Amino acid sequence: MSRPRITLGIRAQLLLVLTVFLAIPWLGYEYVRELERFLRDAQERTLAGTAQAVATALHDRPGLFDAGSASPEIEQILHGLSRTTARIWVIDRDQNVLARVGTLRRSDAQPVEAGRTGDSRLARAWAWLEREALQPLYGRVLQQPSEDFSDERSSRPVAAGRDVEGALSGILTVDRRATADGKAVIVSAAHPIWVGDEVKGAVVVEETTNAVLAERNHAFARLFTIVLAALLIGSVALTLYASWLSTRIRRLRDDAEAAIDAHGRVRTVLAGSRAGDEIGDLSRSFSSALARLAQYASYQEAMAGRLSHELRTPIAVVRSSLDNLALQPLPEEARVYMARAQEGLDRLTHIITRMTEAARLEASLAEAERERFDLARVVAGCVDGYRAAYPEQSMELKLSPGTIPFEGAPELIAQMLDKLVANAVEFAKPGTPIEVGLEREIAAVRLDVANEGPPLPMAMDGRLFDSMVSVREERTTGGPHLGLGLYIVRLIAEFHGGRARAANRSDGDGVRVSVVLPLVRALR
Amino acid sequence: MSRRIAIVEDEPVIRANYADVLRKQGYEVSAYGTRKDALDAFRTRLPDLAVIDIGLADDVDGGFALCRELRALSPTLPIIFLSARDSDFDIVAGLRLGADDYLTKDVSLPHLSARIAALFRRSDLLAAPRASEETLERGALSLDLKRLSARWNGKRVELTLTEFWMVHALARFPGHVKDRDSLMREAKIVVDDSTITSHVKRIRKKFLAIDQAFDCITTVYGMGYRWNAEER
Repeated sequence: MSRPRITLGIRAQLLLVLTVFLAIPWLGYEYVRELERFLRDAQERTLAGTAQAVATALHDRPGLFDAGSASPEIEQILHGLSRTTARIWVIDRDQNVLARVGTLRRSDAQPVEAGRTGDSRLARAWAWLEREALQPLYGRVLQQPSEDFSDERSSRPVAAGRDVEGALSGILTVDRRATADGKAVIVSAAHPIWVGDEVKGAVVVEETTNAVLAERNHAFARLFTIVLAALLIGSVALTLYASWLSTRIRRLRDDAEAAIDAHGRVRTVLAGSRAGDEIGDLSRSFSSALARLAQYASYQEAMAGRLSHELRTPIAVVRSSLDNLALQPLPEEARVYMARAQEGLDRLTHIITRMTEAARLEASLAEAERERFDLARVVAGCVDGYRAAYPEQSMELKLSPGTIPFEGAPELIAQMLDKLVANAVEFAKPGTPIEVGLEREIAAVRLDVANEGPPLPMAMDGRLFDSMVSVREERTTGGPHLGLGLYIVRLIAEFHGGRARAANRSDGDGVRVSVVLPLVRALR
Repeated sequence: MSRRIAIVEDEPVIRANYADVLRKQGYEVSAYGTRKDALDAFRTRLPDLAVIDIGLADDVDGGFALCRELRALSPTLPIIFLSARDSDFDIVAGLRLGADDYLTKDVSLPHLSARIAALFRRSDLLAAPRASEETLERGALSLDLKRLSARWNGKRVELTLTEFWMVHALARFPGHVKDRDSLMREAKIVVDDSTITSHVKRIRKKFLAIDQAFDCITTVYGMGYRWNAEER
């Protein structure tokens, strides 16, 4: 299995998906723009309506325009129609201002936020956030209405402009223009005043778009705030959900990995989740797959035991028959064959015993008791024993001085050394010594058994310590080789938390098998 | 009156072979193939010794059950398990049920009959009054070679026949190292090294149960075991 290069957890993926919702503020902006257009139209219509109403009131009253200058009567009428935010002009045909009421600047245009001064901490925090972070942001995106603009028309006695010209030519004209300093936009509607068939003057109603702007900004701010809050809540919820999902998946993965040990043996069978969703499903199918695997493994492990059990019965048949036969008076010739049959039987028995040794060791490892003992003493004692057991084989023991306190099962260590030495004796060139070394390392101790002889074949590298693997060429001498010796070494080394490895000696003339055992054992 | 031995073994050839060799030695032998047959016969009349296989045809642990039932009928009857199974688990289970010995089918017939004879001797002498002592004394250890029983500080240690012979082999020459082969020879068993190890462990445990300070059996790694003479 190769790991993908870019790793993106479920949480990150879901948050990435969430960025799609960042389009919502943009949609909101478009919506607000639409709203603004609508409001502007409404404003224009209102202004036009007002202009028309004023003009209607002044229709067909020729007397009003005769004076050629400001007329108190007009002003009186205008006062009756005036609105707070609009400015109304009345001009005559020569664009002279006859009357003017109202102002463009709104005096009450204060930001409306003093209403809710913190009743709760959260509200205050929100208000602070709005003031400090959101308002400046809105200010960047949207133009803020300002009452501080230059109003060049107000001071002139003569009004000029497209609207006025349009109205004086008899058409209701609506115009919008920016102030000279660009800080505001003024919408104006001009309506002609008819006296008979003649345009005698015009009414101009003006208003800034500030009210509309304020309305728009307010709408946008509300929308943006709501979207932001929704996004925030949504991403928190999604993150939590994704965390929950990935925790479950990670737990499942950890369980699945822990269920099988480094050698592919099933250690524990998963319980299987009871959740009804796909992850629960996955967990259950993991669980059943592991259970089947465990079944198969135990079937295989029991195989050697069953096989030897099955073989023991026919062997007992042969042995008891031979024993019975031995009690009969037999001719001398027959005794020779009896002896041969017995010998063959002994060999068979030996093979069966060896076959079950590994399986039995695995069983006894499970209940082996650990004790503290001096590793150096055990190794030295064993080597003494081997000198007696293999009299024609010379042995060299290299011990680092002092005791080596170790926690483990001494008889297992001895069994492991038995296998290592038996292996070395078999491969050693006649007349060359076998070296057994025990050396302290950092927080560990290394046990080496080296012999001169043929090097390891490259192809076997790494598999030597597996069950039923042997590098021996077919030889007629010696006992049967099942390739279990080094497997037993590995089992015992791993029981003590260590590792076994085999390598050719640095001088190229022989093999060294090393077992590294940690002195401080990790808790199992 | 000849002694009666019951053999419960599902394999007819082995059953016949064992029966033949024991008959030749003058025992009266009755052989049974199933647990039911054997139990029916035992209820009518108890044998003097029983040799039982654990797996009886389809009855995987039939021998264990039979041993339990037989022990209920007689607490002293010598029982030997003779099985193809050689795991520590089976051996411990068999001995816990009250069997006097546990042999694997690797055992040769002469070894089997030696055991049978020894068990008879022991059961005879347990009944008889203490006479003509033949004991081996090693400090707190006292081995009664006739009864095949062991005592430690005067307290009886319940050893199986195999265990008794192993203790005897070790204690006869204190300080000498007995390797596994010679222990096997003296205990008349054919097993592998790790079984010897677990036998020795069991022996140690039995002595430790009586005396917390017991450490007369020393493992000499790479060689075998040694009986330590006590320093007193």
